[in-house]
Amino acid sequence: MDSSTKRKIVISPVTRIEGHAKITLHLDANGNVDDAFFHVNEFRGFEKFCEGRMYTEMPIITPRICGICPVSHSIASVKACEMIQGIQPTYTGTLLRRLIQLGQNFSSHALSFFHLSSPDFLLGYDSDPSTRNILGIADKYPDIALRGIRLRKLGQEISERITGKKIHIAGIAPGGMGFPLSAENRKALLAWIPEAMETVQIGIGIIKKFHEENEAMVKSFATSPTLYMGTVGPDGELELYDGNLRFIDADGNILQDQLDPARYLEFIAERSVNWSYLKYPYYKPYGFDRGFYRVGPLARLNIATKMKTPKAQKEFENFKAINNGKPVHGTFYYHYARLIEAMFCVEEAERLLNDPEITSHNIQAHGRWNYAEGIGCTEAPRGTLFHHYKTDDTGKLVAVNLLIATGQNNPSMNRSVLEVAKQYVKGNDIKEGMLNRVESAIRCYDPCLSCSTHAVGAMPMIVEVIDIAGNVVKRIERG
Amino acid sequence: MAKISVNIDEKNLEVEVGKTILEVCRENGIEILTMCHLKGISDVGACRLCLVEIEGVNKLLSACTTKIAANMIIRTKTEKIKRYQRITSELFFAERNHVCSVCVANGKCDLQKLGYKTEMDHIRYPYLFPECEVDTSHPWYVLDHNRCIMCTRCVRVCAEVEGAHNWNVMNRGNKVRIISDFNTPWGESETCTSCGKCVHACPTGAIWPKAIVQGQLEKKPEMITELIEKRKMNL
Repeated sequence: MDSSTKRKIVISPVTRIEGHAKITLHLDANGNVDDAFFHVNEFRGFEKFCEGRMYTEMPIITPRICGICPVSHSIASVKACEMIQGIQPTYTGTLLRRLIQLGQNFSSHALSFFHLSSPDFLLGYDSDPSTRNILGIADKYPDIALRGIRLRKLGQEISERITGKKIHIAGIAPGGMGFPLSAENRKALLAWIPEAMETVQIGIGIIKKFHEENEAMVKSFATSPTLYMGTVGPDGELELYDGNLRFIDADGNILQDQLDPARYLEFIAERSVNWSYLKYPYYKPYGFDRGFYRVGPLARLNIATKMKTPKAQKEFENFKAINNGKPVHGTFYYHYARLIEAMFCVEEAERLLNDPEITSHNIQAHGRWNYAEGIGCTEAPRGTLFHHYKTDDTGKLVAVNLLIATGQNNPSMNRSVLEVAKQYVKGNDIKEGMLNRVESAIRCYDPCLSCSTHAVGAMPMIVEVIDIAGNVVKRIERG
Repeated sequence: MAKISVNIDEKNLEVEVGKTILEVCRENGIEILTMCHLKGISDVGACRLCLVEIEGVNKLLSACTTKIAANMIIRTKTEKIKRYQRITSELFFAERNHVCSVCVANGKCDLQKLGYKTEMDHIRYPYLFPECEVDTSHPWYVLDHNRCIMCTRCVRVCAEVEGAHNWNVMNRGNKVRIISDFNTPWGESETCTSCGKCVHACPTGAIWPKAIVQGQLEKKPEMITELIEKRKMNL
């Protein structure tokens, strides 16, 4: 095709996600999408500027990467520190960490579903973009908006009642926790559980209704098969805090099981691309072209054999039935998977709060620098998170590698954008609703790009159709 | 002990001869900001926060190093002094790399408290962003030059209380640094007794124990004062 007839559409910034990104769609002469690129145009540099710091500072520095999943960073980091020291956290220390992580998980899932994605389900993809946000939901469905906000609040309150800080957590220390949970705070947290469970069930109701009413769209929305990776317990059950890795292929065959996360470099490689600051990780044995894998709630449910809690297990069985026990590839099912996981988190949080040892003061074991290398791994809300540190023989960091969940989904996000764009963006008459669907492919993954920027309604989206000579043929603006 | 009359902040006081203005103020409940002062060890007037106005003297003097004299008329809270204190605290923050959010001393730091006290809502001077060493060579403690304000409390407590004189000061201007022995890594020091007094004397997160993380730091400089007073009683 003659390149002079090609056109380009740019969606920048992508809205209702955590962070900044843009999408470029390349159209051919007939107005059909030829190619798509998902660019992450931020640069943070944490891996570099953490060098030279003491390794024990990392559980405090790394949560600053993100305002949504700071706990996961702190936990992955502290596990790497414990590997450096060669110690294990105390039983109560582990319980408290698990509890805080569960809180963060459903808090993050509440943000993704109720604040960012529910406007599409409840108000419609083609509704007025100026009200297609959480404020629009608050106006039309005030009870749902309030519940979403309160579910998020509970998640953060768990952290606050243990460590005194809602967001950027302190006190996750090598060997356990720096602060205990008081009996009074435990009681206050238990009182939240029934409401949290109700909210998650309402969320599941919303997504199931949407699935029923939009069956064709849900089943055809970015359904390319990929590999999946996540953490499982010893019996293949869903595990978020600790466990071993499992890889499955697109048909559900287990490629690797009970893989020690410390061996991640044997199975995962990364490649840089010239259009994005986000690298392209892939499953090493399959190579760059065939090794795309996904992480996060959809991947975790696809790889898991069962759930540890009864209500979540029941919903998990419904999820497994979607593709007769085989992996569910439809990107849209991320939302459903996220809510099932939130349900598990609430049930599990209740179980942990009822453990008599949770208020014990035996919260921290103590160690010192013993080994020069540490790898920590945990399941963040968006997928598997690795922290890998190397130190000199005084404990000063000489190399830091952080493999973030969103990075691992990056190749798949790019492909989902292309698929959805091919399906919905056509011709010269580009409508805003078409572009919202392209964006929503990204939103399914709930990517956390810088994890710091959130705007409600005020964030503009500019789409320009540009011909090869650089002339703006068409411009749509919202915000 | 002979007594003299002075006037501080419009208040007439009868005070003992031989004391510093800072001592007199603290004994009489008059608040004076300090960073480099630690009761019991010698004063050097390094931080310039305790500056006071004395009638008849055409410059501000540091309260910690100026002896009180008969009939002095002293002012501690004039607009000029407040302005200078705010400037000083801003310069502390601009000089090195103070990032409270990830600092081990967050919430327990005298420099942070100073920022609040001087109502420092922003910093008007360009940050220097110097490249500073983090000395992790000691088996128990860390010295992070990024967070050092050169109060030299560590130097004085080590020399005067522990008697080891491990710490000293090197260079001038903004290149000034605390050094161990003759600028060797702390872990290789031949004089350090690992007593930990410098850790407690340090008002910021510049010297801290490796074993703790943010939220767990407990510095007890008053313990050093108590130690000195008890030693004096024994004598």
